[in-house]
Amino acid sequence: MHLIQKETLSRVLQELSCHPCGDAELEELVAPQMGIISGFQDLLTELEQLRVLQLGELPPAGQVQPSKKPEE
Amino acid sequence: MTNLIYADIAELGSKLRNNELSAVDLAQAYFQRIEELNPQNPVFISQCKEQALHEAEYTQLTHPLSGIPFSCKDLYQTKGLKTTGGSRVMEDHVSEEDAYTVQLLKQQGAILQGKNNLHEFAYGATGVNAHFGTVTNPYNSSRLAGGSSSGSAAAVALGMSAFALGTDTGGSVRAPAALCGVVGLKPTLGRISLRGVVPYCWTLDHVGTFTRNVKDAALLMDVLGVYDAQDSSCVNTSPSSCQATLTDDIRGKKIGIPSNFFFDHCDPEILAATHQAIGFLEQQGAEIIPVEMPSMEHTRTVSLTVQLPEALSYHSDFLAEKRELYSDEFRSGFAAGQFILAEHYVRAKRLIEGYRQQLQAVFNEVDVLITPGCPTIAPPVDTTLVETAGKTEPAGNAITRYTSFFNMTGNPAITLPTGLHSSGLPMSVQLVANLFDEATLLNLAYQLEGRFGTCQPPA
Repeated sequence: MHLIQKETLSRVLQELSCHPCGDAELEELVAPQMGIISGFQDLLTELEQLRVLQLGELPPAGQVQPSKKPEE
Repeated sequence: MTNLIYADIAELGSKLRNNELSAVDLAQAYFQRIEELNPQNPVFISQCKEQALHEAEYTQLTHPLSGIPFSCKDLYQTKGLKTTGGSRVMEDHVSEEDAYTVQLLKQQGAILQGKNNLHEFAYGATGVNAHFGTVTNPYNSSRLAGGSSSGSAAAVALGMSAFALGTDTGGSVRAPAALCGVVGLKPTLGRISLRGVVPYCWTLDHVGTFTRNVKDAALLMDVLGVYDAQDSSCVNTSPSSCQATLTDDIRGKKIGIPSNFFFDHCDPEILAATHQAIGFLEQQGAEIIPVEMPSMEHTRTVSLTVQLPEALSYHSDFLAEKRELYSDEFRSGFAAGQFILAEHYVRAKRLIEGYRQQLQAVFNEVDVLITPGCPTIAPPVDTTLVETAGKTEPAGNAITRYTSFFNMTGNPAITLPTGLHSSGLPMSVQLVANLFDEATLLNLAYQLEGRFGTCQPPA
């Protein structure tokens, strides 16, 4: 993966249907200061690691249901 | 009145029913406390004093909650009273009806006092709020109360409310409760209706309670744990009474001690108190079993990958018209949410299903897990990064490090005080139970509270 560039993000917003983002918000994604998104680049890198995991037939999580222990 | 505002629901109810106290005097005592403290510490965003006193005057003492004043996080819709979400975006929003949980409490005669401050729309765990002010820690005003339900935790800790409602998406009830020295309960995902609560992330949002002790938490659980057919996320079960089993013998209960992650990089005093808790449970006859938890390597990213697109989706309408009214912090989160791909989101939800299956295998072997509540004491206000036992991380991540996993799995969890740290700030322990087994969770928590007591009120 290439490092994400602010210009790339800006072009994505221009060329796809998205909510508008200010310059400061895009800047926060490539050079984070606020702590909650502790590096958008790091997030993308980790998402790429998750993308290649073999998950087999595992479905998405839905509503939780009461469980029974095996002996019950 | 000082002792009165720190009394639990059972004691207050007893005084009301024995005519030692009137509901109006009780409500007045709490409002006086709010009047004294709220100008310095913005715990309440709004109040409904006139209506509350009117209701107190005519309350019928038919239930343990009758005449008991409470407050709720300003994400709960309340008829005729503003629901702001802690944001300028909804500053003038007034709902036409109460959230279902507020309705249930009012039906039993509980009296709504007002709405508590929070991290804007629950997006964050520090409780920092630039618009309504940041709620500070009841034990030290230079420290954070934690969040996102900062005001609800502080309201109970400071004796401004007898109990409070919050929401918990990654620890937003349990973590501030831990930092403020009160009991924070997050029931099973789907156990309590979310109807009428402004959402942050549908997949992870839970209703939760702040109380002075575990007994009060059990009472509220029994009142609020009612199936709501109008909330599609609510699960129809036949739960057992949490109050009925509160004092049950815990001999033979199996307590799981995570061997990975949950005791790492933790403040040594908090760790020591947690080990005392484990020792106490063992003395009472519980069986201690080391357990291997699922890998936590990617859990924060998985959680965030679900949170950001869901928050973006809910706020989409507001963003079109009121984008500039959101905090810079939240706008950056929305920006990130736009660049998360659909496959990332679905994959994250599949990983959550994997976590659920792995944790269920753990709960096939144990009844309850025990961990520290938070790895750290309340961080200083204006802190961005926190260092705890060799690990440096954003303050919000530190505060919710041990809690957020259980929002993904949906298991019921509670934090309760284990006394004061040498800094004078509260410490806590977290218990987690099998899905829909709040009764066992509260039974163990009640026994543990017998060892540590409730936190002494702040000076």
